Amino acid sequence: MSQVDVHRGENPRILFFFWIIIAATLVLLVGLGWRQLVASRKYEEIEKRQTERRILNPGPRGDIYDRKGNLLVGNRAHYSAVVYLDDLRPEFRREYANIIRAERTRLQEEYQSTPQADQPQEPPIPDYYQLQWTARENVIQRYIDEINRITGRDDSLSMNKIIRHFNEQLLLPLPLVEDLNPDQYARLVEQVPVDSPIKVHTGTARYYPYGTAAAHTLGYVQNVTPDPSEFPDDGIKTFTFKKKVGKTGLERSFNELLSGIAGTELWRVDPLGFQDTRLEMVAPQQGGDLITSIDIDLQLAAETALGERKGAAVAIDIKTGEVLTMASHPSFDLNDLSPYIPRATFDDINERGAWLNRAVQLSYPPGSTFKLLTTIAGMRANTIGPETQHDCQGVYRVGNRIFRCHARYGHGVVDTAAAIEGSCNVYYYAEGLRMGIDVLSAEAMRFGLDQKTGIELPYETSRIVVPTKSWKREQVGAGWVPGDTANTAIGQGFLLVTPLQMASFMASLARGETRTQPTLLALSPEEAGKVAHGGEPIGLSRENWLAIWEGMQRVVGTDGTGRLVQIDGLRIAGKTGTADFRAHGEEVNLAWFIGCAPVEDPQIAVAVMVEGSSAADSYHGGSTAGPVAKDIFLQFIEEYPERAGFPSAE
Amino acid sequence: MANRRLDKFKPLVALGVFLVAWWVVPIGVKAFLKASFSEFQAPAWVASSYLEDLEGFWARRMHSKRELELAGQEIARAKSYYQFNAQRAETLQAEIRRLEAILDLPSRREYRYEVARVIRRDLSAWWQHLILRKGRDYDIPNGAAVVFSGGVVGRVVEVNAFTSRVELISSPNFRMAAQFEGDPRPVVYEGVPQSGFGDPVGRVSDAPQDLMANSNDPLQLVSTHLGGTFPPGLSIGEVVWLEPGSTGIFQAGEVALDPDLLSLHEVAVLIPLNPIEIESDAP
Repeated sequence: MSQVDVHRGENPRILFFFWIIIAATLVLLVGLGWRQLVASRKYEEIEKRQTERRILNPGPRGDIYDRKGNLLVGNRAHYSAVVYLDDLRPEFRREYANIIRAERTRLQEEYQSTPQADQPQEPPIPDYYQLQWTARENVIQRYIDEINRITGRDDSLSMNKIIRHFNEQLLLPLPLVEDLNPDQYARLVEQVPVDSPIKVHTGTARYYPYGTAAAHTLGYVQNVTPDPSEFPDDGIKTFTFKKKVGKTGLERSFNELLSGIAGTELWRVDPLGFQDTRLEMVAPQQGGDLITSIDIDLQLAAETALGERKGAAVAIDIKTGEVLTMASHPSFDLNDLSPYIPRATFDDINERGAWLNRAVQLSYPPGSTFKLLTTIAGMRANTIGPETQHDCQGVYRVGNRIFRCHARYGHGVVDTAAAIEGSCNVYYYAEGLRMGIDVLSAEAMRFGLDQKTGIELPYETSRIVVPTKSWKREQVGAGWVPGDTANTAIGQGFLLVTPLQMASFMASLARGETRTQPTLLALSPEEAGKVAHGGEPIGLSRENWLAIWEGMQRVVGTDGTGRLVQIDGLRIAGKTGTADFRAHGEEVNLAWFIGCAPVEDPQIAVAVMVEGSSAADSYHGGSTAGPVAKDIFLQFIEEYPERAGFPSAE
Repeated sequence: MANRRLDKFKPLVALGVFLVAWWVVPIGVKAFLKASFSEFQAPAWVASSYLEDLEGFWARRMHSKRELELAGQEIARAKSYYQFNAQRAETLQAEIRRLEAILDLPSRREYRYEVARVIRRDLSAWWQHLILRKGRDYDIPNGAAVVFSGGVVGRVVEVNAFTSRVELISSPNFRMAAQFEGDPRPVVYEGVPQSGFGDPVGRVSDAPQDLMANSNDPLQLVSTHLGGTFPPGLSIGEVVWLEPGSTGIFQAGEVALDPDLLSLHEVAVLIPLNPIEIESDAP
């Protein structure tokens, strides 16, 4: 019997400690019971979260088609060689051991060869942390060398990339070599043993069968790391592959539709974070498809006709507002931007000024094509009639300034139709001044030329100007002068519009209405029959209306400024325009053509604008932009002969 | 009693010691032992196959003269047919070489065919090998393609002095680049563990989404020249169904291989010719 037992019952101090120990034991037991019986579920959850990792695999994007079902944007296989770091762990260890051994020997020899006086007290020790990374890099580079041997490439991986992958994406495969071509992919598949740590990974990259065609309209995608806020909020650490996000064009506007649904893999990992067992897998799903209003054959015709010149061409279905063609040059091959944009490609596109969609992102003075609107404004204000005449002597005096007509010796006496046909500036200087800027601006606004079209494309420019007196006062800080009105009447001066706006204007005019709502989405026959463009009827008398159409047809007649657009068997109405303006301190010549066909029942409206930046360039609406429009009309006849009033090929 | 109980564990102890010893043996020694083992077995397999041939010979000797005459005539007919085809093929090859020379095109890879007898089949769920009765003595290289009249057989994975081992196309360790007939896009063909019953099968993956296969209109999987081992257009098998793979865009499916694959008696090894050999053949 111990001393404590003997005195326990009587010694209050021992009793006191006895009860404290009992109480503490009870507290521990209750705590243990609480954690084991009541809070066990909570701890299981925590344990689960600590050992589970989720991998998100973004779904492939949907395809984009033209109105006839031709694939415009799809997905192609993107081959890469990857390695799961988990598979390399034994090799990392072996390499590390070898390196450590070699390093110790080296340091020892160095230490012994150092003179006694200079020797530190202890031999230096290796930098274990650095050697660990060196070992990993060596192993990984050996596999890359093996891939290079098979594929004939010369790839390597930076230490930084390896470290970043280890620290941030340990569970994901480390890409060793990316963007293998089919030949290299096939050779790897055959020559890398099935049980090698090197895996040939097949992902997807955007693929553009028509290369440069409609590049700005379709847009491109960029690989981004998804925002962590998109991850499920259940405490499980989530890794993710990069996903593709639309950056421009339809890819951006319809990003939500085109984006696929991410697949998930749930892994149990070991204490070091390497994958152990796959617990769950849900395959990713492809995004929705988009059917556009673009007709790729018309698009290609426009692109070919534009050639190497800067400019834009837009063709619109007059009835529905569907955009059949939207070309902008200079362009770029979208395939060069997939799966990623190389720096050199980016710089090249930048240097050529090819990023911008000239159909919607830049605005220009419309030149003489605006005279149609001036005519309508005058007719509605009763200052112009079919018989209104002016004697053009080649010049027109406004105050102290002489304004010139493009016909050096004048057009002589011209009525409205002849003024449109010959694009007589003098006629429009006089009529513009007679009706005044208020009338002219109000009519342009009635046609929506001061507003964005609202087409389903991002970055439509807001730098569109229908000048008014108040606008000039606010923006330029000067009062309105008659010369401004004269300039505006011929589509120059402060006026700025986009080629898409002019195509919409032409479509509106062809339908006898003031608005056309352009769209890049293909409409079903039911939808096409119910399109509401907004706006109102133009409101011209029949005589006035016929005078405008007569003038527009004479433009594309034998003596008209747009005679190069003539096509046998197709009645085309149009207007040419030539304008000058300064951009970035440089004089730019603009050649315009807007038109529609067939006159009997207009189906297609076209607007073409070509930029000429050199002073030596001779750019005229009829001879420069006209032939582009002609090629679009010709292709329209080939694609839709019945709508063009031609017998069907069938 | 205790000694007797310990005696029971002797085999296990011996096995443990052997495994530990094998584990510590250097890799070079292991490779040497493995090669030696194959070489050691080879004479027995070769002798056995010659005996089989002899047995076949004597079995045919038992046929009547009339039967042998008929068989001889049949062989003569077949021979003249093949000789005609061979001549035509030679003419076509000469024409191809001439056109390549005119157009300055890189020459297609040419092969020498070495016909070899199958002397042993090593078939299991985890590996599927054939042993051929030709090896280094016929300059058979490692990695060479092996074919038969029905298409691809496999790839040479081990070459010994007088034998070589072929990884069958149905083996889970076999993988090659392939394509569907008429479609240039490469896909991956892989062998899978075989059930042991039924015809051999494989698996195709990375098939483009626009391809459709069904039992009435199966897709033909053929070899592609892209991988560099096989000439293009050799039959691999038929694909009767494709389903979405794990990527969400590419498809995967089962490949029905030629049932004769597991009972072949003779195959042809394709030995790549180097450019000098091809030049010397040129007309």
